[in-house]
Amino acid sequence: MSRRLAHALPWIVAAIPVMVALLLASAAEFASAGAILNLLGRLTGIAALSLLLVSAALACRVPGFDLPFGGLTKLWATHHRLGAAALFMVLAHPVLLSLSAATASLDAAALTLVPAGADWAMWSGWIALLAMVVFLAPSFAFFGEPEYQRWRWLHRLSALAVLGALVHTFLLARSLPSALSVGIWGVLAAAALAAVAWRFVFSRRAGRLRYTVAEVARPANNIVELSLRPFEHSLKFSAGQFVYLAPYDRQLAAGYAEEHPYTLSSAPGERALRIAIKDLGDASRAIQSIAPGSEVRIEGPYGDFFPRHDSAEPELWIAGGIGITPFLGRLRHLAATQQSLDARLVYCVQDQARAHFSEELEALAAQVPGFDLTQHFFFREGPLSAEFLATHCPDFVSRRAYICGPDPLLERARSILLRAGVARDQIVTEEFTLL
Amino acid sequence: MKKLTFTAFVAFCTFIATVLALSVLVPERVVADHDKLPAISADELAEHDHEASCWMAIEGKVYDLTDYLPLHPTPLSIMLPWCGREATEGMRTKGYGRDHSPAAWAMLDDYLVGTYADE
Repeated sequence: MSRRLAHALPWIVAAIPVMVALLLASAAEFASAGAILNLLGRLTGIAALSLLLVSAALACRVPGFDLPFGGLTKLWATHHRLGAAALFMVLAHPVLLSLSAATASLDAAALTLVPAGADWAMWSGWIALLAMVVFLAPSFAFFGEPEYQRWRWLHRLSALAVLGALVHTFLLARSLPSALSVGIWGVLAAAALAAVAWRFVFSRRAGRLRYTVAEVARPANNIVELSLRPFEHSLKFSAGQFVYLAPYDRQLAAGYAEEHPYTLSSAPGERALRIAIKDLGDASRAIQSIAPGSEVRIEGPYGDFFPRHDSAEPELWIAGGIGITPFLGRLRHLAATQQSLDARLVYCVQDQARAHFSEELEALAAQVPGFDLTQHFFFREGPLSAEFLATHCPDFVSRRAYICGPDPLLERARSILLRAGVARDQIVTEEFTLL
Repeated sequence: MKKLTFTAFVAFCTFIATVLALSVLVPERVVADHDKLPAISADELAEHDHEASCWMAIEGKVYDLTDYLPLHPTPLSIMLPWCGREATEGMRTKGYGRDHSPAAWAMLDDYLVGTYADE
């Protein structure tokens, strides 16, 4: 399945209930402005519920499910857009119905918005709408960038939104015949429920692998690289993929049993699983002092950064700061399996002191034929530029580009490459965003 | 996306506030002077019990819903049995216990033809 199709499919599924309702609309529903507004009001309600359920189903995080989408971050970009569309629809829904009622009288328009007494059909609709605004507000940064754990906690209100919307729809719906209505919403709700059940029940019991922290290396004063040994089963993954890690060390100042996404820095064949973590938040700061011998649980792998099949295509790697980890994993794998690769790594950091793993990178570069490492220091060279790339990698335009690092570097590198004429599908990025 | 969703949210709140404020501030339109409406007996009402002339008595008033029949969302067969008789129950329950919307009640005013003289 092509990536474009994978990303289009959720939208197509979400559009089905709307299309069915539109096809079943009678001529009378187009007879006047009021009737048309009423029909549009009902259609936006149907669209909102359907987008919400499809978006929920996409959040299942089953390892491997993200691959057709190009990785979990790409899959969640579509999840995010579906959520935004659901919010637009749910906001338009009462507005259109109220405008439709306004063609009869202003009081009717107001009464359409205000539920009378114990009118649960209406209250459930309002509960769903308000729950959606509350749980989506941090996702769209209504009140500034949210704190990760609060955002995750608030996101669980989505269950209340789905429940409210389903009650509201079953009590009020008249756009679809009841058998069809039960069928369509039943299937979509079951998909959403299955996703939630996987995330919060099944994956916690069977989807997480138990590991012991065998060693804690400190490549810099704000970075640790954990070496983990499996209790029983070890994770199967490709270089550059990431996992969710939950530490079970009671001594940690923060983040006990909380899962956070981290990129794997070890080669797939290694006995130990290695994860490099920079202190960027409360939990990743606390984990800097995790005790060797304590337990961590790993869920994954996710992501689809590097190609799954070997190709002879020349590559350009651009890493920023801790964004070096997927490249480190790949390079360790290439060295361990004695492969060659025509690749140029441009490693962008503030200064020499922040060039983590640089000694190991240089040693690995010497081992992998065809591989070349260039360090770019912001303090000396300024922001990354096309001239810098051209100087150190004259044929960068004809290479497939892999970029991982903080957003500003990612955006800059992408725009440099696009302006130089690199095709969009030749640029692969891995964002560290809220997951 | 962030700006767009926030703008939509603010626009939504503004719309709700405006409609609620207007419904309080704008004086209610007097639709008809009920005292001057003719009193319609049960017998007279019963004559309008078909598609070509459908009257209904709802909460003490009589409405000529002939022109509305083709516009009603349900099939004609749901509405027709209520023509020519007291139909408050149908209006209040839709046959399954759910009241018609405020908009539907407001639309009735356009079809008012008299008061219902049951006795």
